[in-house]
Amino acid sequence: MSDKQLDPVTVTVIWNTLLSIAEELGTTLRHTAFSEGVREGDDFSTAIFDSNAMMVAQGNFSPGHLGAMPSCVKHALSYFPPETLAPGDSILLNDSFLGSGHFPDTFQIMPVFNKKKLVGFVACSAHQIDMGGAAPGSQKVQGVTEAYQEGLRLLPVRFVKKGDIDEDILRVILGNVRVPEKVRGDLLAQHTANLSAAARLSKLFDDYGLKIVKRAYEFILDRSEQAMRKALSLVPKGKYSFDDYLDDYGPGTMPVKMAVDITFDGLGGVEIDFSRSSDAVPAAINSYINYTRAYALFAIKVFCDAKDPQTEGAMRPITIKAREGSFFNPSFPAPSGGRAILQIRIFDTINGALSQALPKKAMGAFSHWSNPNIGGIDDRTKKQFVMYDLSLAGYGGRYGEDGPEALSPVMNCTNIPIEVHESLNPIRINCLELLQDSGGAGQWRGGCGLRKDIELLNSTAVLSHLADRHKFPPYGVFDGKAGRLAETLLIRGNKKKALPSKGVEDLQEGDILSFRLSGAGGYGPPNRRDQDAIKRDIENGYISVEAAKRDYNWS
Amino acid sequence: MIRLAFDIGGTFTDFVLQDYKTQKSYFLKISSTPSNPEMAVLSGLNQLIKKAKMTLADVDAILHATTIATNAVLERKGASTALITTKGFRDVLIIGRQKRYETYDLYINKPRPLVERKNIFEVLERTDYDGSISTPLDTASVDEAVKKIIELNVASVAISLIHSYANPSHEDVIRDTILRRAPQLSVSVSSEISPKLREYERTNTAVANAYVQPILDRYIARLESALAKKGFKNDLFIMQSNGGLVSPKIARHYPIRVVESGPAAGVLMGGVVGERVGEKHIITFDMGGTTAKLGAVDNGRPAISPTFEIGHVQFKKGSGLPINVPSVELIEIGAGGGSIASVNMGIISIGPESAGANPGPICYGLGGKHPTVTDANVILGYISPDGFNSGKIKLDVERARLEMETQIAKPLNLSLERAAWGVHAVATKNMENALRIVSIERGRDPRKYSMVAFGGAGPLHASRLAKEIGIPKVIIPFAAGLGSAIGLLEAQPKIDMSTTELVNIKGFAYSRIAEIFDELEQRIKKDLDRLGVKGDCEVIRQASMRYVGQGFEIPVDLPSGYIGPSYNSLIKSAFENAYLKKHKFLDADAEIEGLDWTLIATITNNIDSHNNNDHNTAHFASLNDQRSRPVWFPEMDDFIDTRTIDRRALPVDKILTGPALVEDADCTTLVLPNDTVRKHKLGHLIIEIHPDKLSEGRK
Repeated sequence: MSDKQLDPVTVTVIWNTLLSIAEELGTTLRHTAFSEGVREGDDFSTAIFDSNAMMVAQGNFSPGHLGAMPSCVKHALSYFPPETLAPGDSILLNDSFLGSGHFPDTFQIMPVFNKKKLVGFVACSAHQIDMGGAAPGSQKVQGVTEAYQEGLRLLPVRFVKKGDIDEDILRVILGNVRVPEKVRGDLLAQHTANLSAAARLSKLFDDYGLKIVKRAYEFILDRSEQAMRKALSLVPKGKYSFDDYLDDYGPGTMPVKMAVDITFDGLGGVEIDFSRSSDAVPAAINSYINYTRAYALFAIKVFCDAKDPQTEGAMRPITIKAREGSFFNPSFPAPSGGRAILQIRIFDTINGALSQALPKKAMGAFSHWSNPNIGGIDDRTKKQFVMYDLSLAGYGGRYGEDGPEALSPVMNCTNIPIEVHESLNPIRINCLELLQDSGGAGQWRGGCGLRKDIELLNSTAVLSHLADRHKFPPYGVFDGKAGRLAETLLIRGNKKKALPSKGVEDLQEGDILSFRLSGAGGYGPPNRRDQDAIKRDIENGYISVEAAKRDYNWS
Repeated sequence: MIRLAFDIGGTFTDFVLQDYKTQKSYFLKISSTPSNPEMAVLSGLNQLIKKAKMTLADVDAILHATTIATNAVLERKGASTALITTKGFRDVLIIGRQKRYETYDLYINKPRPLVERKNIFEVLERTDYDGSISTPLDTASVDEAVKKIIELNVASVAISLIHSYANPSHEDVIRDTILRRAPQLSVSVSSEISPKLREYERTNTAVANAYVQPILDRYIARLESALAKKGFKNDLFIMQSNGGLVSPKIARHYPIRVVESGPAAGVLMGGVVGERVGEKHIITFDMGGTTAKLGAVDNGRPAISPTFEIGHVQFKKGSGLPINVPSVELIEIGAGGGSIASVNMGIISIGPESAGANPGPICYGLGGKHPTVTDANVILGYISPDGFNSGKIKLDVERARLEMETQIAKPLNLSLERAAWGVHAVATKNMENALRIVSIERGRDPRKYSMVAFGGAGPLHASRLAKEIGIPKVIIPFAAGLGSAIGLLEAQPKIDMSTTELVNIKGFAYSRIAEIFDELEQRIKKDLDRLGVKGDCEVIRQASMRYVGQGFEIPVDLPSGYIGPSYNSLIKSAFENAYLKKHKFLDADAEIEGLDWTLIATITNNIDSHNNNDHNTAHFASLNDQRSRPVWFPEMDDFIDTRTIDRRALPVDKILTGPALVEDADCTTLVLPNDTVRKHKLGHLIIEIHPDKLSEGRK
């Protein structure tokens, strides 16, 4: 197609409309959803496809679904060929390999018809708070050795038939999850959101006609590919490598090697290869290739300043590889429930490699996060509760400025307010504060770690912990110092017990779980830090006088 | 009855004086004096009063909207402020809600909190979610914190403790302690200012109140005394973000409530103008130099949202400071006359960067280098090349054409006119997406709404926008550039009170709800006393509600009248109506709960309900004097000679068919081919949009 055939004004208008549909789909989903992950954590994603299952627009939500979204419709169509689909149908799946790497992420894919003709698809994914399996939240790492222990697996099923939700399928799902009201609410929210997006997409075809929209789609895919190639071609040609380690994959296990080799060909192509990493592990923390791809793509977009709208075209110049059977490309039934803990680490690893190519874009490693689930039977209601929590702390030092304090790292979540947690669950949060002296020293300091103490007000509960950086601290760059290590403590009366970052622990009333996140890495040598900045940090309590003396020769 | 209104904006201060007896209005627009806002106010008042041949003593009420509080926050020039919070939670304000406003940008920063960490102090205490006290307030820790704060020499203190919305007793004790020890300090208490769930938003609201209080307090005091010196003896009212007026006393106590007073007045004006011409459902569209703002009036009432943000970065949601104060519902996007157009990936993008007022668009000839929406409008003939402000500003059309050609037309292989049209159309499309949110996404059927368009650029883009989304009627108010000030004239005193309590709508819910509204009524009575206005008091109940398990609520108007056992089902059906309108889906099996409960009291009947303008008393040129100029229309893909008429010359109720341009001193109204325009007897233009959707640009 030559550009002359298609008016740039029309294509602009069509593109903006697609983006606005994808955005609106997400807004509706967030506002109607039940689970904390969706409504507070924005742990969902939306996309629009053409009739050949090519992704032409994606909503600006969780990057974790960047990897799965482009292929999800193709996967669905391999089970339901287009001619078997009717208006009002919708397909549901949550398979780890087909979807975004663990069962809690459910995808709903709705075919869109215009004048009785299939013209495309709208899709959304959402993190369900529970999909059954070994522990509340379906993210238990320790002792889960195959995916069958992780809960209900849905290969693509026709969840909605001609507008009616299949109550049989729904009953099967709700019979297998711990918090059926929430899962039901979220599944309906996904459907609700798809419905209005499908109506708008169909209207686009009313307004412009099939031919024009199709040509606009080609234009969009080509142009986003060209823009990505241009961005990638600006990175100095070469191979850049970096290795780091995950604490372990459960109590008493070995560290997992995370290694990446990134090759820019100087012509607008890039290959990101994780093959040198460890083998897949017998614990629920493996990263299916869709998940690996998602965060690798995210990192590339961040580093290459590729802020243009995400389409399948933009992904063509990027190859993401990992050895089959490795930690970053396992095969079913490798367990993967807790893979969310890897997202920051995938970014950190790529950041380490690209700091050699693009030093001004690099940053110290993130202070990481914790994502524990605490669940049990609420003494007051005799019903299951699952407290899904996120603690998010600082960024690494960046070229020219300190890492921000307590800002959502790679994935983009809001935290869950203390007052919301306490009004829903039998717990009390005793503190939420930045940890003095935890940020890595540097010319530009890493952000502080964060402490959150949660007291159990229920007779019993179980913790499925999901965290990291308890053994290998967030690194600094260009002589910046590493952040302080994370630790998790169980305080029972006068006793303190250090907990592993991925363990399961029985809790009793009065127990206090103290989550203390690592500090982020610094950027540049500490002796080049601005004296006023050190003074400000001391005044505001981010660092102590002793640490200032030690790290910066402060006097 | 004589009412006088003024609206202090960033660039201009607008004045309106209305004499309800003689039915005469007087208008004035002068430059603002940001460092000393009352200077422009006093000089403007003098001029206006002189023009009307009156004295201030003749004026019955003065109504005021101001951006002083907003600017103090935006520029971080508020009072030095300290915060007292619960032990363990010093960092709630610094941590915030943590989401990046831009997912794919890791180089951004969070909005800077209004209080530095070193000025945040903890006291030992703990209240639980149900209001019970699990750790009593340790007075020694209060004394210690207060001592430190006094040493700091701050002007203002905010108090925000965990779960204080459920039980304010500890906050009250701390306030009393501070006022005893340091009566000179301003104290803002979170349970009083924003008694709502979610600690960060509540704390930030209390802190923002504290931060602007000393400044607004001094300003209002200065203004009151200056007005008194000039002989003004009657009531001064301040506009709140919710579109209602309050007394200076209340504004000084809750300054955070007046932050959005200018935009609120704009929406209010839209509602009033609509009502005058017989329309109750209105979308307001205010397009100025840097932004476009869209609001709504439903059944005569401005739509209100329970929260808003101050200090957005590029209008992105979540990039500002959240404020828990009811405010007119507005969507603001970076599409104004000064928004810069560029070519990216073979398509046209507009804004959010703006050339602002300086250097401004290229055609202003003040050094602007990038083509803007205004430049496109000049090239297309929509704006007269003779310039505006009665010819005081001449336009450099050639320069605009040259840059549009090199920067937009050439890279896209388009003719100059189609490139300029592209800029105009894309800007309109961006606004259409925002308009979709305001209308369709929020359950408003565009076919049942009329658009009131104002601001320097609004009347140019309004018809195209209305046509695209299916709004059948556009109203361009008389003195469209003075919209906000005119809105003030019509505002009513209004107080709202709300509280948070989770109530599941079943069983004896109704009796708890009755108690909640009783308590709110008691609190509202106190403020009404402070307001000291006579008149009929209309009270409305509202709640934010959701299905049990959801995390976002929708606003629901609750039935008035006695609250008895049947109230549960009344609430349920009110919720279902609102939910269905918004989401087009109901869950018959789910339980329903209410979270925030609000009571709104509006005082009515204290002004005359109709007015007239003096627009047609002057001597006007006749229609025969009309001129014409070439104007580009995509429908014809060419320039066509289009008549241009001075609005004053247009006879009342004569119907003209577009294309046509109707010109005012500071804005131009574009009437599209086949649409019709007529002038209402009050001077407003009423454009009927031709039902056939045009297929411009889609050939």
